[in-house]
Amino acid sequence: MTNFDYPEDILQSLDDYNIDIRDFMPGHGSGAKLLLNFNKISGIEQGDGIILKGREIPNGIVADIVIKEGTIVEEPVHLCFGVNKETGVQEIFPRIIAEDNTDVKVQAHCSFPKANGLIHKMFGHFYIGNNCNFTYSETHYHGENSGALVSPVGYMYVGENSVFENNFNLTKGTPGKVKIMLDIYAMKNSVIRSNIRAFGKNKNDSVRIRDAIYLEGENARSVLKMKAAARDGGEVLMYGITEGNAPHCNGHVECSEIVLGRGSICRARPFIRATDPTSSVSHEASLGRFPQKWLDELQAKGLTEKEATEILIEAMLKE
Amino acid sequence: MLLELENVSIPTIDQKHIIVNNISFGVKESSIHAIIGPNGSGKSTLAYTIMGLKTYKPSEGKIYFDGIDITDMPITERAKSGITLAWQEPARIEGLSISKYIALGIKDKKNAEALIKEALEVVNLEPELYLQRDIDDTLSGGERKRVELAAVIAMRPKLIILDEPDSGLDVIVTEDFLNIFNKIKILNMTILLITHREDIGMVADYGTLLWRGEAVMTDKFPKVMVRYCAKAGLKEFCRRTLFKNGEKCFDDDYIERIFREESSQ
Repeated sequence: MTNFDYPEDILQSLDDYNIDIRDFMPGHGSGAKLLLNFNKISGIEQGDGIILKGREIPNGIVADIVIKEGTIVEEPVHLCFGVNKETGVQEIFPRIIAEDNTDVKVQAHCSFPKANGLIHKMFGHFYIGNNCNFTYSETHYHGENSGALVSPVGYMYVGENSVFENNFNLTKGTPGKVKIMLDIYAMKNSVIRSNIRAFGKNKNDSVRIRDAIYLEGENARSVLKMKAAARDGGEVLMYGITEGNAPHCNGHVECSEIVLGRGSICRARPFIRATDPTSSVSHEASLGRFPQKWLDELQAKGLTEKEATEILIEAMLKE
Repeated sequence: MLLELENVSIPTIDQKHIIVNNISFGVKESSIHAIIGPNGSGKSTLAYTIMGLKTYKPSEGKIYFDGIDITDMPITERAKSGITLAWQEPARIEGLSISKYIALGIKDKKNAEALIKEALEVVNLEPELYLQRDIDDTLSGGERKRVELAAVIAMRPKLIILDEPDSGLDVIVTEDFLNIFNKIKILNMTILLITHREDIGMVADYGTLLWRGEAVMTDKFPKVMVRYCAKAGLKEFCRRTLFKNGEKCFDDDYIERIFREESSQ
């Protein structure tokens, strides 16, 4: 596909998420990018107003990304953390700073197509300044053998009047063992939208995601949507937390999970807590099967129940 | 007859009560046939039973579609044979685009794009503004109902069951919907229209009056409407509203006679 030396099957997994492979290739477009092949940096490109540095360490890298004050980035910053081996350990330490008045999208992709005992860890720190518009989207592909052990941890600080959108997608391939922890701290007048989607597909898949939003600033607002499906013995736990700790802050947690086939387990734990009398935090959770009315409506268009369910899962997990 | 019901009774889900009792009527091909009756008379139950929803099964009687006994046929097969239903309050599903939703029921996949656009135009939605939107909460009630109509039109079924298509719509939108029904008829599809409103029903060629679970009469729609008014004791309403193409449907003597008949029963 390119004359760039990067494993083809890692790139292919981008395609499965409808992401244009060329956007990730050095020499294409003006977007800043960083490509990691196991624990080696394969490519790194800067962008206007963006400092992007990577330093190799024994089991991975430290990646520093700084968006300079006032920078409005037209093309997303692309990060690709790929491993084309069955086993090994990859540790990523991204440190992202978006200075005040910036507008940026970061598209990260973690791809482990041959994983069979592979360990991927991430310890991310995000600092988003005031008056920013920051979108972080992370897609994962862990191959078809349920052989990955993935445990990202992220701490995100969102400054005053900023909008932060977090999208995490683990819907293609088989997840393996996944344990994710995110803590997002929202300051005054900030808006947080966090969308988590995962699909456990067999008995070797176990996905546990804990996404916590702390509304620490006055009038901070958040919506946390966690959507999952588990089939053929797969297991998914979505633990959605929102705390209202400031005046007039407002948060909502929504967990929707679908169980398919015997032995599959979906668990949802929306946890809400309010410590300010003027705050408002709510939650809703639904588990099990899709509403019969939805199935009826699709079946009245000629679909079988199985086909209707597939369409609804695809819709639920759509980015 | 395209659709025939023969002595059909429909029980509640727990089978303890009868909602629709021993009704028989037929729906002519290429017609608009209204099922009219007050709230709770069993209209929607009848619609769901004809469509074949799992929890709506006749305890007695037969349903024939296109000459075939479909009484025990599952919903998917009924849809494939040419019956579909536009719901009173269609679901809103995040992540499912309008174009994909409308395409679901299209058999002629090669021409799906053209059929989708045509269906959206029939319901007065501009394709370029709607194709990529989802059938989610961002659509208004009227928009969602139009998308539902577009989805059933694109299927090109033989019979469309419209369950209370006017519910929750304002007068102007309702008028627009009446025009849409006529466009559907021109496309040679038969409509079974479930409604409790006379102004909506007046678009129908024929009607069946459902009253407390029983089919009181099946005839040309205005006659059915007079009987409905007589049963409900709405004489003035009947005189004031039964017009077709600006002409009074019946003279006062006829209305008086029907009301007398009804009160003597």
